[in-house]
Amino acid sequence: MSSKSIKKRDGRIVAFDQRKISTAILKAFDAAYQPNMAGIAERLAIKVSSILEVEGAELPEVEHVQDLVELVLMEEDYPAAAKAYILYRSERARARALGERLKKIYEGITWSSAKTSDWKRENANINGDTAMGNLLKYGSESAKAYFQAYVLKPEFAAAHAAGDIHIHDLDFYTFTTTCTQIDILKLFHGGFSGTLGHLREPNDISTYSALACIALQSNQNDQHGGQSIANFDYGMAEGVRKTFVKRYRENLARAIELNLSDADAEDAVKSLSAKIVRESGLTPSLEGDGAYLALERSALSARYGISEQQAAAFQSFAHRHAKSETERATYQAMESLLHNLNTMESRAGAQVPFSSLNYGMDTSPEGRMAVKNLLLATEAGLGGGETPIFPIQIFRVKDGVNFNPGEPNYDLFKLACRCSAKRLFPNFIFQDAPFNLPYYQPGHPETEIATMGCRTRVVTNVHDPDRAITYQRGNLSFTSINLPRLAIEAHGDLDAFYAGLDRMLDLCVAQLLERFEIQSHRLARNFPFLMGQGVWLDSDCLKPGDEVREVLKHGTLSIGFIGLAEALVALTGEHHGQSEESQTLGLAIISRMRARTDAETEKQTLNFSLLATPAEGLAGRFAKIDQERYGILPGITDRAYYTNSFHIPVYFPISAWNKIRLEAPYHALTNGGHISYVEVDGDPAQNPEAFEKLIRYMKKCGIGYGSINHAVDHDPACGYTGIIQDVCPGCGRAEADGRSFERVRRITGYLVGTLDRFNNAKRAEEADRVKHGLDDEH
Amino acid sequence: MNTEATLRIAGTVQDSIVDGPGLRFTVFVQGCSHSCPGCQNPQTHDPNGGSTVFLDALLSQLDGNPLTDGLSLSGGEPMEQAEGCVLLARAAHQRGLDVWCWTGYLFESLLLGTAAQQSLLQEIDVLVDGPFLLEQRSLALPWRGSRNQRIIDVKKSLKIQKTVIYQSL
Repeated sequence: MSSKSIKKRDGRIVAFDQRKISTAILKAFDAAYQPNMAGIAERLAIKVSSILEVEGAELPEVEHVQDLVELVLMEEDYPAAAKAYILYRSERARARALGERLKKIYEGITWSSAKTSDWKRENANINGDTAMGNLLKYGSESAKAYFQAYVLKPEFAAAHAAGDIHIHDLDFYTFTTTCTQIDILKLFHGGFSGTLGHLREPNDISTYSALACIALQSNQNDQHGGQSIANFDYGMAEGVRKTFVKRYRENLARAIELNLSDADAEDAVKSLSAKIVRESGLTPSLEGDGAYLALERSALSARYGISEQQAAAFQSFAHRHAKSETERATYQAMESLLHNLNTMESRAGAQVPFSSLNYGMDTSPEGRMAVKNLLLATEAGLGGGETPIFPIQIFRVKDGVNFNPGEPNYDLFKLACRCSAKRLFPNFIFQDAPFNLPYYQPGHPETEIATMGCRTRVVTNVHDPDRAITYQRGNLSFTSINLPRLAIEAHGDLDAFYAGLDRMLDLCVAQLLERFEIQSHRLARNFPFLMGQGVWLDSDCLKPGDEVREVLKHGTLSIGFIGLAEALVALTGEHHGQSEESQTLGLAIISRMRARTDAETEKQTLNFSLLATPAEGLAGRFAKIDQERYGILPGITDRAYYTNSFHIPVYFPISAWNKIRLEAPYHALTNGGHISYVEVDGDPAQNPEAFEKLIRYMKKCGIGYGSINHAVDHDPACGYTGIIQDVCPGCGRAEADGRSFERVRRITGYLVGTLDRFNNAKRAEEADRVKHGLDDEH
Repeated sequence: MNTEATLRIAGTVQDSIVDGPGLRFTVFVQGCSHSCPGCQNPQTHDPNGGSTVFLDALLSQLDGNPLTDGLSLSGGEPMEQAEGCVLLARAAHQRGLDVWCWTGYLFESLLLGTAAQQSLLQEIDVLVDGPFLLEQRSLALPWRGSRNQRIIDVKKSLKIQKTVIYQSL
């Protein structure tokens, strides 16, 4: 044996040991169920050694030695053992690759800061520099690597890695589902259980709002996507009602105590009022229930021997004070809700819940009071006047309810516009859009359209057509298709493009079904809040050990897409903002995708839907991979990002009306969720007419969900909020004179308080955004 | 309208929300003799700069946007191209739009100005007047750049023969 040493993969040089070879060969025989082969293994190892000797290399490498083992096993006619050995080698190679990849990732997490590391800023809501943020990233990256190597069907893993498709939230692949619309009323009734204890049904608006936050936080620990309350107005109304009753009785007792010198007035009023409630079912209310008041008046005059007139005076004192105290308590409750949702961390303490609140159509005085004060608190901002990043707020717009002068909640619509013009929220969802209206049944708030997170929409239900509702349901998982890639590969041949698209749709359907199968095997107890507290539809019928398969069928499986605009450029030379022909083609492409998800819904009896993908990390990821693959193609791969879903590119100058008109028809097609934005060139808080006009035009054109983007800057020194160029209009200081100005922008539907947390692609996108209507009108 | 009429402009902006209430179609005319130090648009001063466009072209831009609430004449100095501007403003009024105009001159002196300037005033709803004075600059003022500038309700002012400050701010 010429060589006494061997070179390992990591470059280390170790002493050559023939026994290691015989042991490996013996293991291969064992794996092939061939016992008693020690002698033969020994003989084959000697043969490997002697080949090495003949070759005479100074320092043979371990890979080469393993090649020789394979060769010898084949030559000596032990195919089963050879096969086992090859499998073992490839398994080891896979594990090594995983290990190396993880090592690289861990090094990155451990030693680089989010400032320099783009993937630490992959998600702008996570602070990648904190201990918990790092720990979360370790877990997330390991899970992704493991699932790709060992769980996903290889063709799905390969398509994901190559950038043909993107499997969202891959790190949670085997663990959970995306999001839920929480029915907060159902959750509150009878109380619910948190991690370590039971919470009684709340009795005051301050507790209602606090528990709403806890519900969002708890559910966020069970799911990876956005958490939403579908009925915030109806839910909080109960808290306002209870607070009013309490305050009314207190004030009535005060009036009596002072005027009639009854030190026990509080107890007296309480029992007197409770008796009326018991016997008549009537209660004191903000509106002032005449029948209740009459009963109470006669009870008071009977008890205290006073005239009904005097009793009425007490009542009106009590009502007046109770009303203003309730108003104040509601404002404080909403203020603390905003503070909680921007500070209460979830998910290993690395990020606040991705919370959303839907409201706008409850016309009760209590629901209106809750919404009014939420909007006022949002407009006022957080403690330092900052724009609240969470929750995403969604104002439901509906003819006959709040859209036109004279309608009961028109004042709230106006207030919502004013608030959004200053704070970017609420967004506006349109109940009257032709694809939302059919599901709506007046008097059934569960049929009001809602959205969660940045855009997810759930309403139809093939699993249970009688429950085509928004409450207690959500998305299970979604996967997006790289449309520009398909278009580039088609080389202008539309048939080739469609063939590629159909292939990708097949792949996505199969992959979503694979993931659904995995999710279905989870047990109710894996979701202590989502399933354990009956948040998800029908989950209250499950025992902790039951599989969640049947109830998950209320959820949706969504196929999304990125870069329709770039795909159209690749196919025709122009995107849909540039030519009507491209718009026609764009609609044909998206219609084809929708037809497929509809067909799959029928075939599988599962809710497949088409999603206009929000694309924070993905917009950059696809573009980067394609740039490496195809080089710089003008109008296609020449930017650091692909355009979101069906949007007209942000860099393209287009008037607002035209953007709205062109994007609206895609809303009708993307039943899994959508949003359109209009960028304006100034501070719309100074021009409320313009803001409202744009919202009204969105509704007119059939937009499902929309919002206005504008810059929101804040000077922490003087508290000014608005647009700040170089100098703060509030106090006249320059940025260099003190603490940096905060610049809030919207990124895939979420607000981000500092541009530092934008990833590279989104920074590039933000810089390119054209306020609609600048010169060179097309 | 005279289809040959032209205007020398620096550019146009659709959907502006900073040149008056609602969504505005803003025309920045080219050429301004005031030369205010610190002017936001110094590139619009040269009377030979920018480009000459037919009013028809501007009007088709205006007509192409169903959301426009009003025409805003900015610049540059609209009063130094009053002949063209008055035609544009009149056309805007015929379309039911309102007209805002920014000028470096004072309203009172424009009342005694050229015939064209006087007839342009007749077609203006709101005039923001006066030169930009750097020492009176404020970023917090709506629709104007320095504190000396006034927002004048021209219709009312002409009616009662007295300068009336525009109210609905």
